[in-house]
Formats: sequence, structure tokens, C-alpha cells
Amino acid sequence: MATDKELSDFLENVERRAFKQAAFAVRNEAAALDITQDAMIKLAEKYGDKSPSELPLLFQRILQNTIHDYFRREKVRNTWITLFSSMSTESDESGDFDLLETYEAQGDFHGSESSADKIERDQVLTIIEEELQKLTSRQREAFLMRYWEEMDVAETAAAMGCSEGSVKTHCSRATHALSLALKARGIQL
Amino acid sequence: MTSHELDFAYKVRHALDEQLATLPAATTDSLAAARKLALSRKKKDSPLQVFVAERAIAGYVGDLFDKPLSWLGRFGLAVPVFVVAIGLVGIFQFEQQQRLSEIADIDAAVLSDELPLTAYVDHGFNAYLAKLVE
Repeated sequence: MATDKELSDFLENVERRAFKQAAFAVRNEAAALDITQDAMIKLAEKYGDKSPSELPLLFQRILQNTIHDYFRREKVRNTWITLFSSMSTESDESGDFDLLETYEAQGDFHGSESSADKIERDQVLTIIEEELQKLTSRQREAFLMRYWEEMDVAETAAAMGCSEGSVKTHCSRATHALSLALKARGIQL
Repeated sequence: MTSHELDFAYKVRHALDEQLATLPAATTDSLAAARKLALSRKKKDSPLQVFVAERAIAGYVGDLFDKPLSWLGRFGLAVPVFVVAIGLVGIFQFEQQQRLSEIADIDAAVLSDELPLTAYVDHGFNAYLAKLVE
């Protein structure tokens, strides 16, 4: 049974990686923060009495489910937005469009991370993150859980709800795809 | 997975860990606040439950005499005992009455000379009497 201290230490240890995982998936810093917070609250509320050894797997399952829930909500929301925007008047569509505002909003997430963009190392790290985002969601989940969260194949399979063979396949394909993408951008790790 | 692929994967991991250190302060503060919020909602430890095997009848009755009973408990125990005692007395009285009436029937039959004296020792005589009544 995890004590308050053990749970706090666990959350402190995983919260940044969880945030990054969510950010890679949803590509939105604010949404990633919300997802991470939801996952932490769900873990504490529902599984706060579990032993510390069970927490990593439970947290990964909750995090992945919360990310999937976010995409489901976005899909519903986009459906309604599309519906209402098609019903809007001509004048609405021809409204002011500020390219700079849009450009800033999109660039905000990476802007803070690559603030020292003159340093080559930071550029490489940013490119790695960009290429990770381009992986399919399943490949990225498998790759990050196996190599970043240090979960074994069985744990990753349990968290992803698939077979161990699928996890190995996802990991292998993710590594190949990432390696090729980085090579194409002139980066050799 | 080959050792080269594994090596590549761990280099990527190292790069990702480096990036964690560059997270903006606003983000880390938000994460810390989220952690505190989560901890404030931590599920409380459930009380320990121990299952103990208990004898359904013998243990229960034993407990009744081990512990002092409330007036309701005493009443609940006394009423069934009283009912059983009354029942047993009633059954005994009924059986006695049956036996007396059977003997009376035999006596009456013997006195009216309808029967030989050997009928007294005949175990099937009750059946005979019943047939006679019909």
C-alpha cells in the first residue's frame, strides 16, 4: 500500500515524462498539461491504496486512456464545429485573418523548448522530438514505454492492451522509422 | 532487436531526458500543482478486513451463554424453548389419550362377549376393531 510520500515521489518522478508523452501525442501544451493532471488525479483517487510496484503500469494505462479520451472528445468537438461553421454566413468566413497570430499559436509549443536555437545540440534534441511526434501513435506509445519508462515487454503489452509480439513489432518499426527520419535530416546518433 | 537498434533507442532516450531539463518553469510549476491536487484526492487506505470461519449453530449457542444477554435476547431464547416444551407435553398427553381410548374399546368389546379372551394378546386387534366399527 503506497504511502502519501511514496505516491508523491512516484508522481514527481513521472510527471515530466508523462507531460512529454501527452504533448507528443496531442501536440498541444495546455491539453498535455490537462491530460497529465487528469491522469495523476485518477491514479491517486482510484489506485492510491495500491502498492508502489503497481503504480507505474497503472499510471501508464490511465495516461494512455486519458490521451485516447482527449482524441475522442476532439473528434466530437470538431464534428460540431464543422457542422456549425458550414451553417455560418458568408461574412463570417471572410472575416479578418491574422497570419501572424496563427503562426505564433502554432509555434508557441516548440518556441519555448528551442529558445537557445543557436545551439546545435538543442536543435538536434528538438528534431528528435519532432520526429517522435511523426511516428504512429501505437509505435510512439510502445517506444516510449519500453525505452523511456523502462517497462518490460509484458508490462507494455498490458498497458497498451495488445500482445507482446505486437509490442516488439511496434518498437522495432518505431526505431527503424526514427533512425531513417533522423538520417534524412542529417542527424547520426 | 539488434544491439545497434537498442543502442539507438537508448541514445534517443538520453536525448529525451535532456529535453526534460529544459521544460519551462511555468510548465513544471503547473505539474507540481497538479501533483499536489492529485495527492489531496488520494484514496484513503481501506480498513483491513479479516474473514474468520464461525460455526453456525454450536458456536452461536455457545456465545449466548458466554456473554450476558439483553432482555430482548433472553426473551428471544426463552420463547422457542417454552414453545418446544409445551409441544412435547401436548404430544405426550395426546398419545396417552389415544392409548387409554384403545384399551377402553377392547375392554368394552370383551365385556359384551364379542371377543374371545385371546384377543387381548392379539397384536392385530386394533385392525379388527376398526373393521368392526365400519
